[in-house]
Amino acid sequence: MSSVGLIARDEWRALLRNRAGLLASGLLVLLVLVASFTSLERRVAIEADRERYQASVDEQFDQQPDRHPHRMVHYGQFVFRPIAPLAFFDTGVDSYTGNTIFLEGHRQNSANFAEARQSSLLMRFGQLTPAFVLQTLAPLLLIFLGFASISRERERGTLRLMAAQGVAARQVMQGKLLAHGVIALVIGLPAFLVLGGFAATGAASWAAVLPMIGGYAAWLLLWAVLGVILSAVLRRSRDVLAVLIGLWMVGVILLPRALPVAAEARTQLDTNIETEIALHREVAEIGDSHDPDDPYFNDFRQRVLDEYGVESVEDLPVQYAGLVSIEGERLTTGIYADAAERSRAREDAQNALVHDFSLISPLIAIRQLSMTLAGSDLAAHYDFLQQTEAFRYDFVQRLNRMQAELIPGIGGEDPRISAEYWQDIPRFHYQAPSPFDRPSDLIWPAAVLLGWLAALSVLAVWASRRLERNLR
Amino acid sequence: MAQGTAEPAIELAGVQHSYGTAPVLRGLDLSVQRGEIYALLGGNGAGKSTTLSALLGFIAPSSGSVRVCGIDPVSDPRGARAQMAYVPENVSLYDHLTARENIAYFLALAGHDTGASVIEPALGAVGLDSQAWDRRMSGFSKGMRQKVAIALALARDVPVLLLDEPTSGLDPRAVLEFNGLLDTARERQVAVLMVTHDLVSAVDIADRIGFLTAGRIEEEQQAGEGARFDLNALHDRYAGTGQAI
Repeated sequence: MSSVGLIARDEWRALLRNRAGLLASGLLVLLVLVASFTSLERRVAIEADRERYQASVDEQFDQQPDRHPHRMVHYGQFVFRPIAPLAFFDTGVDSYTGNTIFLEGHRQNSANFAEARQSSLLMRFGQLTPAFVLQTLAPLLLIFLGFASISRERERGTLRLMAAQGVAARQVMQGKLLAHGVIALVIGLPAFLVLGGFAATGAASWAAVLPMIGGYAAWLLLWAVLGVILSAVLRRSRDVLAVLIGLWMVGVILLPRALPVAAEARTQLDTNIETEIALHREVAEIGDSHDPDDPYFNDFRQRVLDEYGVESVEDLPVQYAGLVSIEGERLTTGIYADAAERSRAREDAQNALVHDFSLISPLIAIRQLSMTLAGSDLAAHYDFLQQTEAFRYDFVQRLNRMQAELIPGIGGEDPRISAEYWQDIPRFHYQAPSPFDRPSDLIWPAAVLLGWLAALSVLAVWASRRLERNLR
Repeated sequence: MAQGTAEPAIELAGVQHSYGTAPVLRGLDLSVQRGEIYALLGGNGAGKSTTLSALLGFIAPSSGSVRVCGIDPVSDPRGARAQMAYVPENVSLYDHLTARENIAYFLALAGHDTGASVIEPALGAVGLDSQAWDRRMSGFSKGMRQKVAIALALARDVPVLLLDEPTSGLDPRAVLEFNGLLDTARERQVAVLMVTHDLVSAVDIADRIGFLTAGRIEEEQQAGEGARFDLNALHDRYAGTGQAI
């Protein structure tokens, strides 16, 4: 066996004979498995609830009696977003964004019932998911296993003894990197097996699972390599540990939490109340369709009369109020869409600032990669909002057209149309987007992680040369 | 003793080396023949450990030449180290390994055979109780660790042995056993360079003793049978210069 292989094998042997290290590794593996199981269970329970609630509200909608269509516009529909298959592994922003929307006429409602808002305060510090364990806790274990990998050899004098046997510092470095690289992958293995098993059953696609495994492997390798390099560069093990813990605290705990606060300070979002007031103001500025002197709706009425070639609204073959509803919905939808676009642009600016810092804190990169592949990122949430809004607009306008076209033929003081009409309205079917629809959300974080590994490889070469010089 | 036969196994000629601006070796001349035991004595900072580092190729002297069995350890460190076994001063080895595993590991790193036929005679030769051979070294005393390190050096079966304070921490009986081992090495024509503070032990076992002061050999004396030393005078002389032995 080569010197590199011998050094790696001895490092594994040392770990296997170290009860504290084994216990910590075992606990982390257990934590990954427990997190996978509980997260999967939670997903199954939420999905069952979602299906039950969706079926229930659909049934109630279908059971509505013959009515005026505008009553149905305000009766509205609840839609529930199905949880992406891999969201059990990484819940991403799902816990905060909500997964239920009430769709009705004249307004866009925001998503409700976010898990974090429904749960205890503890929940807001992050769910116990396999992603949380791999992103936050696994680096800590890798630090404890690797911080003394080379500095301990120097402190004991075994590094000189190894060199005296003809082993080059480069080989020591390679052996330790091999050992701790494999340890990092073994620590990730239970999670990788869970992901692989999920893909093997067809519950998730290999196309999403394999890059996710690759991303987490790179993330774990990064910490293992960093530990070995610092252990070679710094003279005392306690210094290595202090620096690594400091880097973990800043890169994994502090920056990912401080950056959103900084982004919020730089690009502030309006509060819900401010948004509501602004929207009401903009809607009011369009005009009042009930005001006979309203300039916008007077123009609109004239355009309708000209289009149908009649003199008064009473001569129209359709109900004028229905046409006003169609026009009003078009206008208010435009106002809400513009507001949503502005809000999203601000959120995108906030996120861009955070993502720029992934160069410093690669946790941001692995988190983005993981959330995107899991279908639990902010883009997936926006996609849900867009799909529901498109559905809402179509749903409301269908009812408005029913009002315009069917009510004139019915007449009476309380005109109603058959319930069969809304029973025939297509239901909302969420089409989950593919993570590969947004390649930049995958390429950038993958490039950051690979860039870190490449930079650390260069650093490892420099560190091994420095180690060779410092053998004296 | 087989002094003055052929090319020296260890040879340092006019070696100078500084750490930063502080000179440590100032024209060191030293040679050790095969089958000779050379004790290098000197106080703290005299340059003893730097001499070993130069032989091991850990440092590149600023001038002068270093040869181990004719090989320059700076230009060919692997080749030179293949000719040497080294026992460091503070032998720690690996606590998670047994004595046997430690020797096997370092022998494997040196590219040597790690079979029981190589390791067991070496462990037997240093007098380590056979019951301790397969015990983890975490419970070993300093003397036991020293024996394992020396066993490793013996198992290497190389022509040059470098020993850094080999008797430090050994009890009197272990020192006697160790001296016996060095006699065996001498018989095998091994060149031994022993760096030590222990003048008495050096007088007992060495063929020549070199007194290193401020980076050069200030005085060299033949030792061994028949040689006479005024230990008190030597001690006073070197202790008096601030180079406590």
